[in-house]
Amino acid sequence: MSNKEQLYQERLNRYMTAMDCGKPDKVPVCFGIGEWAIKYTDYTFQEVFYDSEKANRIVEDMLPDFDVDIFSGGPTLWWPPMFDVMGSKLYKFPGIGLEEDNTFQYNEEEYMKAEDYDDFIANPTEWLVKNFLPRISAEFAEPGSYRATIALIKSSAAFAMFGAAAGAAAQRWAVEYGMVGQFTGFTKAPFDTLGDALRAMKGILTDLRRRPDKVLAACEAIVPHNIYGGIAGPGADTRFPCFAPLHRGAYPFLNPEQWDKFYWPTLKAVIEGLWAKGKRMFFFAEGNWTPYLEKIAELPEKSIVFDIDTTDAKKAREILGGKFCLQGGIPTTLLTYGTPEKVKEHVKRTIDELAGDGGFILAPGGVLMGDAKKENILAAIEAAREYGVY
Amino acid sequence: MAADALSNAITELEEEQVVALVRERLENGVAPLEIVNALQEGMVEVGKRFESGAYFLSELIMGGEIMKDAMTVLEPRLTGASGDYKGNIVIGTVKGDIHDLGKDIVVMLLKGSGYNVIDLGVDVPKEKFVEALKESQAPLVGMSVLLTGCQAAMKEAIDAIRAEGIDAKVLIGGNYIDEVVMDFVGADFFAKDASDGLKVAEKVFS
Repeated sequence: MSNKEQLYQERLNRYMTAMDCGKPDKVPVCFGIGEWAIKYTDYTFQEVFYDSEKANRIVEDMLPDFDVDIFSGGPTLWWPPMFDVMGSKLYKFPGIGLEEDNTFQYNEEEYMKAEDYDDFIANPTEWLVKNFLPRISAEFAEPGSYRATIALIKSSAAFAMFGAAAGAAAQRWAVEYGMVGQFTGFTKAPFDTLGDALRAMKGILTDLRRRPDKVLAACEAIVPHNIYGGIAGPGADTRFPCFAPLHRGAYPFLNPEQWDKFYWPTLKAVIEGLWAKGKRMFFFAEGNWTPYLEKIAELPEKSIVFDIDTTDAKKAREILGGKFCLQGGIPTTLLTYGTPEKVKEHVKRTIDELAGDGGFILAPGGVLMGDAKKENILAAIEAAREYGVY
Repeated sequence: MAADALSNAITELEEEQVVALVRERLENGVAPLEIVNALQEGMVEVGKRFESGAYFLSELIMGGEIMKDAMTVLEPRLTGASGDYKGNIVIGTVKGDIHDLGKDIVVMLLKGSGYNVIDLGVDVPKEKFVEALKESQAPLVGMSVLLTGCQAAMKEAIDAIRAEGIDAKVLIGGNYIDEVVMDFVGADFFAKDASDGLKVAEKVFS
């Protein structure tokens, strides 16, 4: 076994042990080389988003000194051309509708209207292809037309090219640097699928009063699709969790009765459905989820990895600790406005308070954006190694 | 609880009742401004309930939507009626960020409390903040930011305002805003939520 293979195995063991609530030799640490890394290069955001070789170069320049157990990825989430060729209205990308050194943004609109509920509930996939795609894609306005067909082929090709390039890069990083990736697969809470992309914030929140039964029926119709989404993909891997960015379940979007009735049952069904197939969810609880911890504790043991962003960390440990692996502990603003000394102090304290008898992964709680500082991130990793030995 | 039936209806988010009462009062010749005042009174109670934790965002947004729909009926009839404002406040989401939820909630509460809010929208360049402050002479400007990556743009906007010698107080808000960010960008106040923002306005205008 080569050194790198051995390193990969050690890190993988730490990750797997922590996810099963066990105590590894060291506290596993998880970071990516995100948008923050771009400012230390000569590249603009636009170049990095559009040219994956440049994005990969940024990662590979830094990886040799990046001693993390779990790698949460490079500076870009997707390759924008797969949206651009569809004439997609969903996003603004750097250099197109935004300055070239800006991150991407989502254009929220009611792409699904209130009167679309019945058709959507009857057959979500058919409704998405026939109605949603033409509405969000200028080049796919007339499905079946020559123009629409070409756009679809180009976009699918771009999606496949991006997937292949990302897969090859991940493989290379595993072999050459012993890097363990964080996820395989992607899913969401059904309420967020409906609320984020289809009905938009005001639409879904007013639907709760204007047409509550439709909201419930639509969320239920989405459940099997979101179970499938979490496990679909190469090899149907079940070692790594699927990524689930969770939105409207954060406090204080919904009142407690609404949360119990509209958000939780179908998210729980997705988690239980995935767990029945051996697939775990990375429960990316962005924002504050403190009021809901007791409910979350009812999930099957070990079926999620719970991310602590602005949730009360001590309460999370008290209520969820031992049942689920907890991840987080480093506030994103500390990595921007703190100093390496302050970051180290914080990491030491966090390990003392949260690492306990295992089942904990040290990581930034939320998304690290372009403002985070490299010296603070490196200090966090260094401190994790210094204080994170069990 | 507000005594007026229309104020009550909007506070309780009874949409159909609000629509019916607005129509009924217009038919009976009640002055549109009086109807708006009743609605506003109800919205102040919605804001109070949100502040106390009895109402959540879903209820606040529902109240705002009911109010907005009622205003599309009432606004064209309000011509000539002059409002009695507590003062001008300029507000916007800073450059590079297009999130409007937090800003819109603050705008709603400020308007409900009787301020004239000059809403510059989202992705607002620093020049627009400067221009609006010069024009309105507002003593308070609110800046909203969700994305931490856009906090530098907030600092630039505040620097531009100070460089022009404008002495308006700067209030910043957003999910990842705290004292550290306030010091970094050079603001006078920060708000963790919309009701904090309202308290700052009360302080500035007292």
